[in-house]
This record gives sequence, structure tokens and C-alpha cells, in this order.
Amino acid sequence: MKTRLSVLVVLAVALAACASVLGLRHESSSHPFEHRAHMLKGINCVECHGGMALAGDEGPLHLPTDADCRHCHQKPHDVRSCVQCHGEPYVRQAAELARAQLRFEHSRHMSAVNGDCVRCHTEVAEARPQTVLPKMATCFGCHEHREQWTLRDCDGCHVDLPTEGTLPDDHLVHDGDFVREHGVRAASARDLCASCHTDRQCASCHGEGTVPALPWKLALGDVSLSGLHRAGFAARHADEARADPGLCTTCHTESSCIDCHTRENVAGPTTNSPHPPGWANGQHGEQARIDPSSCAACHGGAGEQLCVGCHRVGGPGGNPHGPGFASRKDEHHDRPCRLCHGVGQ
Amino acid sequence: MWCKTTARDRFWQRFVACAVATANAIGLESRAAADPLRLRADALAEAEGTSSPAGLVVLQGEDAMRPWVAAEALVWTGDRGGTPSLTGDLLVLTLRLREPHGYAEARAGRFVLATGAVHPVQIDGAHVIARAPWGSTVETFGGLPVVPRFGARSFDWLAGGRVAQTVGSTLALGVSYVQRREDGEISNEEVGVDAAMAPVRWLDVAAFGAYDVMSPGLAEGRASAAVRSSDWRLELFGSHLSPGRLLPATSLFSVLGDLPSHTVGATARWRAAPRLDLLASGAGQDVAGGLGGNGWLRAMLRLDDQGNGSLGLEARRVDLPGAQWTGVRAISAIPLGKRFRYSSEIEIVAPDHPDGRGVAWPWGLSAVSWRTDDGWELAGALEASATPLHRYETDALVRLSCALERPSQNPPGRGPIAASR
Repeated sequence: MKTRLSVLVVLAVALAACASVLGLRHESSSHPFEHRAHMLKGINCVECHGGMALAGDEGPLHLPTDADCRHCHQKPHDVRSCVQCHGEPYVRQAAELARAQLRFEHSRHMSAVNGDCVRCHTEVAEARPQTVLPKMATCFGCHEHREQWTLRDCDGCHVDLPTEGTLPDDHLVHDGDFVREHGVRAASARDLCASCHTDRQCASCHGEGTVPALPWKLALGDVSLSGLHRAGFAARHADEARADPGLCTTCHTESSCIDCHTRENVAGPTTNSPHPPGWANGQHGEQARIDPSSCAACHGGAGEQLCVGCHRVGGPGGNPHGPGFASRKDEHHDRPCRLCHGVGQ
Repeated sequence: MWCKTTARDRFWQRFVACAVATANAIGLESRAAADPLRLRADALAEAEGTSSPAGLVVLQGEDAMRPWVAAEALVWTGDRGGTPSLTGDLLVLTLRLREPHGYAEARAGRFVLATGAVHPVQIDGAHVIARAPWGSTVETFGGLPVVPRFGARSFDWLAGGRVAQTVGSTLALGVSYVQRREDGEISNEEVGVDAAMAPVRWLDVAAFGAYDVMSPGLAEGRASAAVRSSDWRLELFGSHLSPGRLLPATSLFSVLGDLPSHTVGATARWRAAPRLDLLASGAGQDVAGGLGGNGWLRAMLRLDDQGNGSLGLEARRVDLPGAQWTGVRAISAIPLGKRFRYSSEIEIVAPDHPDGRGVAWPWGLSAVSWRTDDGWELAGALEASATPLHRYETDALVRLSCALERPSQNPPGRGPIAASR
């Protein structure tokens, strides 16, 4: 009986710990402000947030003070300031950030909604709201801003969007496997991406043309499970490349491999062939068709003559063109056709 | 297999040189203090790296009073490996001009060009966009594909454009064209179509396709459709890649034929608890007739509401002809007080067919960083791994960073950040 009780106690403690870790139970003494309770009492927002109806784009945030609270709660149950427990600190910080990052005047909106604050601040009616700031979609509910969206003119509301660094949570969601997904998402809206992201952010991955090493190692303390070349990528890169032929050419040129392999002394003129015995008479043709960029990585440029020696017209290697080959090139004039076909052949 | 040697003799000497260069670059800030300016400089040194020490200097200037002009530079400096001394190169150097209402935009300099179905390419050139209030967009671009360290280029250039029509934030359709030449010969000529649609808040769809004009056929096509709620998201995706058509048409290997690869899959994300995200992804692949697939499971636990600390675990499996392996990876990031932060990453990959490359490839990195209030950060890490090439390899990394930022001056009508009430 005692053992069972001990097990139950341990389980309860473990569950409580899990609830804290998972964020199911708040550890801090503060909790979301009881907006809902005040609303149900029929207290108008401006009774606490005095001056909000006339608030402009600058000035105080009109958050209630202890004196405002004591106007009704005349016998406080604690000597500490009310905001130490009532209201999460990050909600206040979010309001301060919004003041700095957005152009917004309450005075112009209060009259438009007849003083009905909840029409925009919808989440204050919830028991435990994550935020009390309206989402951008709520703004778009009245202000269509179609023209501003079309012209990528965000400056009307956002003071400095790239510096703001806010992840959008109701539009342009950066979610799931975004590294894989971002290309297709950006195709139709590259200039929309540029409203937040600068050129250097693209170049940190797609700027492979200039520097020999991607700068990801600079973020050595910024661990992440997403990202293409993280962790032990160097060990598994050959298998990764085989698993998705052609993908590497999205960022890398065909000379990238030989440049790096030569530096690392794993390939190049002074090293042995990496191919298995009998490669030339075996599957090299099929493998080359599956991922020609792998061949071009080492045998590109002057190295192409190795192929031409056997596969030129009339050569012992035969016709290298595989199924599905079609081209509008002139076989006698355009490179690479003329390498094998030559003039007059 | 062999073991790598210990740190190179000139490691600290070069790191100090790089740090001095960084400090000199930072010195610019005081001279430019009159203008809104952002400057960040990083110096990275590796004991074993072939490109170490390396440094990055970011310089970004913009003016809240004149938001129609901005400039940005990202400069890499370091040891290129094999070269006798430190060298440098430009990753980005752009000047961006923007019509105040967004009707036109232009950028010139060195940048990554990516629009519509055009493959991303780093160019020295210009990109101009003109927009109409009814949603029509015309883009044109041209320039010289970048060669490291301003190397010689003979009749290499790239030009193209894109025409698009958007309907609010609901629909966007675009058609693009690009032509690229090497030594005067066409190396790439593609026509592309792109589309994006978000008819309702919980659904968005995007796709593009690039058609190779030189070797007629679809070079690349990708599509993605996602549905979401506040707690979960499901994405279906598919792709078509024709490696032969992605190579420059001037390459001998572009004439081998067309054995494309196809991928179809799904990724799901579920917020199982306020601080716990679970993700799963799986895809079936057809690589030149060989069928296979890949998939992964991922869990991310934030250690606090702000996400300053986190733990993550991932299991991954790739099963395709010629590439079969299983991997497990774990990460942790733990704040140690206000200024210190500890982070670590561990990965173990086991190939199904080692073929003399080792039965497993473990990799690990453990880092500690220290940040000051005035923008300086010092981080050190130890990296250890076993790879198909090396029985074991150890590396020490040191990074010194400084980020200096002068807040933009408040435009007319804006006051300072208000106090908390």
C-alpha cells in the first residue's frame, strides 16, 4: 500500500513538472490580466485606460496605474504593486514594441468603432489570452489596404519592417519545413519577402559564387534542427546529393565540388580515382544520366575531353544521348555538340 | 582513413589579424555616427578549417527621413585556403532606390537575383520593378553572373524579366523569362510560370515551373499547398527536377538525356503543448525510375515562454537506391544567466552500406557564448566528428562579433518610445 502511494506521489510530481516544462502551467507569480472579468462586470475599457480615446501616435500607453485600480479596489489584498501579479510582463513589452514599431492613433479608431474596443482587441474576451494586440488580419477586416499590399508599401503602418524582425503569425507564415518550402513560396512574391528580408540574408546561402565557405558556422551557438548544411553534413553530403539529384545546383555551380575536394585533398590531379573498379565499362553511363552534375563537378571544362575521347561520333563509346534527349542546339556550331560531332562530321 | 593533425601554427596569429581587421571596421561607426547606420562584424577562427580565419562585415545604411534610399554591404574576408595571405570578397553590395509609394523600385550592385521561376543567381547588375495600383508588375533584370574575386569573364551575361498580376493578397500569377550566356553562347534559356493563391486564411497554395527552351522540357517544377489552424499545419508538396536541364547548356553533360526525379510528400506540424511542437514529414521519390523515400520526425521543446532556451530531437531516414541511411540528432540551447548561453548539437548517422566509410558518422558541437549589453559577443566551441574521410576529427572554433546599431531617427510625427504606461 505504501509503495503504491509513493508511486502515485512520484507520478503526480512528475506530471506537475511536465506541465510546467510543457507550458501547461505557469510558474511565475504573474498571470494574464482579468480583462474578461472586468468586461463581464460591464466596466468600460477607458475607465481604466484613461485618455485612450484621445491617444495619438505618440505619448504614453495609457496602461492603468495602482491608483487607477484602487479607484474601485479600495482595499487591496497585497502591498505590492498590482502589475506585479495582474498582467504578464510580456504583454506590456508587446505594447511598448507596438508603440515603437507601428504608426497607429487610437483617437481615429475609437470613434470609428463607437468605443467598442473589443471589436479590434478580440482576445481580451478570452480567459487566458496570449496577446491583447489585434492581429494584422483584424486590421485588414476594415482597412483592405489592397493597393498598399500590391505596391509593397508597408510604411503606412510599419515604421521599419526589416528592423522590426517580427515573424508574421497570420500571413506569410514561416512554418513547417520552411527551408525546403521557401523557394516555391517566394517565387511569386520575391519583392514581398524583401519587405522584411535584406539581400544579405539571401546571400548567406545563395552567395556561394564568391566565397569558399558558407557563413553558417558563424552562428555556432545558434542551434537549430532546420537548415540544409548543419551538423555532420560534410560526412553525409554525398548520400544527400544522391538522394535528390540536381538539388545541389540550386545554389552551387558545377565547379563547387572539385574546388572543395581539391582543397580537402580528396580529389584532384594528385589523387586516385574515386570510382569503383570497372567503372568505365560498367554503370557510368546510367549514373551520369541520373545526376550529370556529379560528373560535371570533376570532369567539367577541360575534363570533358575524357568523355569525348570515347563518345565522339564514330568513337568506341557509342552514342551517349539517353532517352528523352532533345535539343535545339546546332550540332556543328554549338558547344557542347561540336566537341563530339565536330565540323563536317 | 587517417587522423587530422592538431591546430595550425598560424591559427592565433591569423585570428588576431582578423580581429584587428574587424576592430578597424568597427571604427567606421564612430566616423559615420551622424547617419542612421547598422554595422556588424564577425570574426571566426577554426583550428582545422581550410577557410579560417574568416570574417564577415555587414554594413547597412538607411534613413528614416529618406526611406526611398538604402544601401547594404556584406563583405567576407579570410583565408581562402592555399593562398598565402588573407583576402576578401563581396557577397552583397547593393544600392536600393524606391519610389516613396512603391510604384517603382530598383537595386543595383552585387546581389542574389531570384524572382518567379528564375533560379537564384548571384549577379553584378541591376533589377528594376514597376508596379501599378491595379496589381500589375513588370520586372526586368540584367548583369554579369558573379565570379569569385572579380575574376575574368568573357561575354558572360544574364538578362530577363517577369510580368505578373496580383489580385490583392489572394492571387498572384507571373510569367518569367531568362537567358544566360557563357563565352557568348547561350547556356540557359528558360520560360517560367509561377502562381500563388490564398483564397482563405487557412489555405495557401504556391507553384512554379521552369521550361527549358534549349532542350525542350520541364527543367524544374515545384508545388506546395498548406492548410493550417492555430495548433496545426499540414503541407502537401511535390517537385520535378531534371538535372540535365539544370546544368548549363554549354556543359557536355547537359546532352546525356532526361532522367528526371519526382518527389511527392507531406509535412505536418502540431503544437502539442504551449511549448512543445511536433513535426513529421514523409516523401516518396522516384529518382530516374528507382523508387524510394525519406522521412523525419522532429520534436522541439521551448524551455521558457520566450523561447530563449530549447531542446530538440530529430530522427531521419533516407531510403533510395544509392543512398540509404538513418540519423538521429539532438540539440540544446540553455541560457546561463543574462549574458552566457550554452548550446550543443549531436548527430549520429549510420549508413546501411558502409562500404569502408565507417559504420557510423557521429558529429558533435558544444558551444558557450558570452554577450555584453553594448553589442559584443564572444563564442567558443569544440567540434568533434568521424567522417568517411577521417577516423576522427576535432576542431576548435572561436567567434568574436560586434553589432553596432544606431536607431533610425524618428520620422516626423513620431516621438520616443513611451514608458511602460
